[in-house]
Amino acid sequence: MNRLDQLRSQLLRNSTLVMFVLIFLFFGLQEPRFLQPESLGNIIKQSSFIGIAAVGMTFVLLTAGIDLSVGSVMYLAPLIAGFAMRNYGLDVEFALVLAIFAGLVMGAINAFFIVVLRIIPFIVTLSTLFFFRGAGTFLTQSRQLDFPREVLDFGLARVLGIPLPIIIFALVVAAAFVTLTRTPFGRHVYAVGNDINAARKAGINVDWIVFRVYLISSACAALAGFIVIAQIGRLDQSFGEGREFDVIAAAVLGGASLFGGVGSALSPLIGATMIQTVKAGLIFNGTNLYAQPIMLGAVIFAAVLFDSLRQMNLQKSRRRFIRPIQTETEPAERNKGPRHPAGAAART
Amino acid sequence: MSILLETRGLTKSFFGVPALRDVSLTIHEGRILGLIGENGAGKSTLMNVVDGVFPATDGSMFLRGLPYQPRSPADATGHGIAFIHQELNLFSNLTVAENIFVDAFPMRAGFIDRRSMRRETERLLASLDLEIAPDTLLDRLAPGERQLVEIAKALRSNPQLIIFDEPTSSLTARETERLFEVIRRLRDEGKTLIYISHMLSDVRALSDDIAVLRDGELVGSGPAEELDTSRMIELMIGRELAQLYPPKTAAPGRDPVLRVAAMTQPGVVQDVDLEVRAGEIVGLFGLMGAGRTELARMVFGLDEFAHGEIRIGGTLLRGQSPTDRIEHGMAFVTENRREEGLLMESTIADNIALVSLASYARTILRFVDAPKLSAVAQQMADDLQIKAHDIGGQPAKSLSGGNQQKVVIGKWLMRQPKLFVLDEPTRGVDVGAKYEIYSLMDRLAREGSGVLFISSEVEELMAMCDRILVMNRGEVSGEFGERPFKQDQLLRAAFREDLAA
Amino acid sequence: MSTIESGSAPAQVGSKGWASPVRRVLLSEYFVLYLTIVYFLILLPFLPTLSNPQNLSNVLSNMWPLLAVAVGQTLVLTIAGIDLSQGSVIGLTSVVGAALIATAASSDVLSNSVLWGLVITEQGGLFAGKSWAVPAGIVAMLLVGALIGLINGIAVALLRMPPFMVTLVGLIAFGAFAIFLTQSENIRNLPDAYIALGKGDIVSVYLGEQSTPQIPRRQIYSFITYPMIISITLAVFAHFLLSRTMFGRHVYAVGANRRAAEISGVPAKRIIIQVFVFSAVCATIGGILFSARLEAGRPTLGEGTFLLDVIGATVIGGTSLFGGKGKIVWTFFGVLFFVLLSNTLNLMNLSSFHIDMVKGSVILAAALLDVTRRRLLAGGLA
Repeated sequence: MNRLDQLRSQLLRNSTLVMFVLIFLFFGLQEPRFLQPESLGNIIKQSSFIGIAAVGMTFVLLTAGIDLSVGSVMYLAPLIAGFAMRNYGLDVEFALVLAIFAGLVMGAINAFFIVVLRIIPFIVTLSTLFFFRGAGTFLTQSRQLDFPREVLDFGLARVLGIPLPIIIFALVVAAAFVTLTRTPFGRHVYAVGNDINAARKAGINVDWIVFRVYLISSACAALAGFIVIAQIGRLDQSFGEGREFDVIAAAVLGGASLFGGVGSALSPLIGATMIQTVKAGLIFNGTNLYAQPIMLGAVIFAAVLFDSLRQMNLQKSRRRFIRPIQTETEPAERNKGPRHPAGAAART
Repeated sequence: MSILLETRGLTKSFFGVPALRDVSLTIHEGRILGLIGENGAGKSTLMNVVDGVFPATDGSMFLRGLPYQPRSPADATGHGIAFIHQELNLFSNLTVAENIFVDAFPMRAGFIDRRSMRRETERLLASLDLEIAPDTLLDRLAPGERQLVEIAKALRSNPQLIIFDEPTSSLTARETERLFEVIRRLRDEGKTLIYISHMLSDVRALSDDIAVLRDGELVGSGPAEELDTSRMIELMIGRELAQLYPPKTAAPGRDPVLRVAAMTQPGVVQDVDLEVRAGEIVGLFGLMGAGRTELARMVFGLDEFAHGEIRIGGTLLRGQSPTDRIEHGMAFVTENRREEGLLMESTIADNIALVSLASYARTILRFVDAPKLSAVAQQMADDLQIKAHDIGGQPAKSLSGGNQQKVVIGKWLMRQPKLFVLDEPTRGVDVGAKYEIYSLMDRLAREGSGVLFISSEVEELMAMCDRILVMNRGEVSGEFGERPFKQDQLLRAAFREDLAA
Repeated sequence: MSTIESGSAPAQVGSKGWASPVRRVLLSEYFVLYLTIVYFLILLPFLPTLSNPQNLSNVLSNMWPLLAVAVGQTLVLTIAGIDLSQGSVIGLTSVVGAALIATAASSDVLSNSVLWGLVITEQGGLFAGKSWAVPAGIVAMLLVGALIGLINGIAVALLRMPPFMVTLVGLIAFGAFAIFLTQSENIRNLPDAYIALGKGDIVSVYLGEQSTPQIPRRQIYSFITYPMIISITLAVFAHFLLSRTMFGRHVYAVGANRRAAEISGVPAKRIIIQVFVFSAVCATIGGILFSARLEAGRPTLGEGTFLLDVIGATVIGGTSLFGGKGKIVWTFFGVLFFVLLSNTLNLMNLSSFHIDMVKGSVILAAALLDVTRRRLLAGGLA
């Protein structure tokens, strides 16, 4: 009984990992080719798109915010870069920088309304979702934009045999990891998400933290958009539409909380690759095209369910330590009464 | 004995309403000053002025004889003044070390210098005898340990004056004792401390000097030896309080309202038997973590239990549902008003009405008879003398602690329950409001309800109860049925296992 | 006005002495309505067609399905939830209903569908030709919708999963399921009785020549229509439910503080489940109105930015995303505002490229006004 309980809580604690392994086994047993390095490399490459954007989203979620505009930023930022390339002959590298810069500007617009004018992030980014996409369709007059050829050379490049998107994804995750764990800004992001009022009182410049978080989110979305466009060489009008939900799902699936303060730079990595693994696996085993999102939904549901069960388990195990564990040791000779409010130590 | 800080004629008004009037207070170096007063007496306002949260409207301050005008809390810190607020300003998702350095991380090559942060944290924690690894997440610490982390954070800037605002309100007796040791040691090291509290006995035990505020005015100050407790109370409330507790007018009846038999939940409570009769106030005493709140939650159907029986007026209750318990006549005033007692943003009237909606619901769609309900809620608010100008428009959060507690009690009174479970009902409530709550308890008993009164303050249990049960590590370790109770016996039962060890 | 809603508190606290007219408008519950009227009046000189009966009838007809869906969303937001799955409920139930009641179907289009041969054939759906086909089809749709709501509710209330994720998964999975069922095809040939639900008139206006022997169809403007009756009935029902019943009070309590509500005997789990079921049923009703107007069951019916319109309209109306605060009246105004906004953008003859840009700006401007108003409110009370 006790052993079983322990096993269960162990499984729950590592539910994300367990699910990952199960998913691999499930598809790998059906189709051994699935487990070959090439297909695994492909999975990571394809997950880099949502993954990079989800890194930025993780910053936002950590502060208990939300950014619905990423799908439109993914569209508009590469679009601006593409125009510059076509009309002014800008080099690919500079176009990439320009795309990121455009992303930063869009992030600054979001941040301005959220931080300075104090409108809730949901409404601000909902509005800019429309606005940025509208600006894009206005620029293109709803036509597809073909990028110059060189962009493909860039997008399909390999460094030391590793595809460029994987390298960029790895760099972004690594940079986010270091930022979140080793810099005052990163730790303050956690503090703001944990308790924004306490953060203010602690003298943290909360506004500036929140401002930067939206800059990062948009910049990541812009980068993600550009990387994908660089692989396909053209930009459709509907590119990025509805992707905000994929991005949020990836971050949350990897362990970021929508209520702030919880998550890490690895959350988007785990979440995005897990989603991509399922997608790839479903293609591998020949599931009906239209049924694939249903299966994907089921997997995400299971991951979220395990996460809730883990939380509930955690709460229960915390509530439990009154009796067997030693608590108070106090000299009995004390002549003053214990006057202090008591209650369950563990319940919060 | 040199003077560290002196205020001269400090006055502070908010929108023309004075919160501090002409306060001239002298704080001596290397001593502990106990600052007492009822809620709203101006203690926090005074300390906020000292800490630079806002400037005084009038008057001046001198630090070591030099004019002192802090522009911000950070400025005050720069002058060697640290303020430890009642509500801890910590982040549960950061480590202990990060919490201590959150506003000034040590840096090396553009990144946080974690090694020196850890080292420095270890040093600070060691000075408080706290054996916690600097990398422990704050979430894992007990409330007392968190309080000490907050102190370590304040000590980081090596302050000369440390202000504590109600630091013990969430601590166990042992943690409090430990905190006192730390405070005394800081004093012996030459620091100056201001200790703000409701707990007069704490202030007595700790302070070298005492200052009393009432309605924004300094009504008394001097060495602790010169002020005894009754004098302190007299100064605080501005009249002589004949008694801290109302006379008991209720007598217990015969019929049991609540009978709990052999209640057991592994790891929480073991074989608890409990009986409360009509008109009886039964106390439940014990240390923090003794299982009192847990037992109450099981009885009220909030938490599960493995074995045992609960009977209300002879009816055996099954399942685990507060709704069902309420229908059988139970009421539960939780220890935690903010999170579990009130809808803070909702109006007072809505809060009072919440439990009894079903009695005012008509037709199959359960339309609420709103006019009648608000009339009854108003009546209840008047009856309990809740200080509010518009119970239908004013949110619960706008009330003082004592009045909030009355709203919670009023909410249950609407259903005229047979059994009241009150968990720490006087916590965070000032002296005057405490008296009112005691009177209410007596009235409940007189009107025939059974009352289960959970408290960590042994004095109030001794004054109000007909019978006291003591819990220790989830078991009933003693039952005392004879008034007057003997304090040492109660404490002995509460510490039972420690005595045996 | 009723005094029982928790949201109505601020309006009553203000003393009457200093209330200038500007303040009174800003503090009013009807703020978004005033905003809508002002917006309408400002644009009127530039867009004379705005007040044409044809256009007004158009605005109204666009309003009703959105209102039905937004009413459900209001309740969910009030318990501090969110229901993203409404979009997929609309698509799925429209397919299910259409498959059951269609009077004919083409094998060219639907032969790949999973439903082909089982539920729907060349002769139409399972209920085709029966006198009770339409009511039975609607009941089936409502049951499917309620079932999805039940799943959402159980996941949120009992399994304690975050509503955002649960309903996001619902949006993806049930939307995909609808597409899977018909392999992304629309189901047409719906019976007239069903189509009338989306288009049927009760009161129409003809403003042309009186002597014309035959009135041309497109000069008749509908004002009181079946969708209007259905949506308004639903909204009025929800309004009374929320503001006058015990259930409504429990909804507010759960949204304001679930733990405190549970301890006060509010059956929070049941309330949460009921609210999610209600939301999905509202979405289904919206789906009926949409698909009847379209004269087809379409799996992708609620996709795209529709959901953002629903939540946007509800939040602009004044309902809080954080729970405890929401009103059907507010949502009514929010929906009116959103529909008028889209309508004016179309009338401005903006190329479709501009529409999103202007729409985004106007939502933001409305939010900004609202924030300013709240700040004034807070300042006035301090």
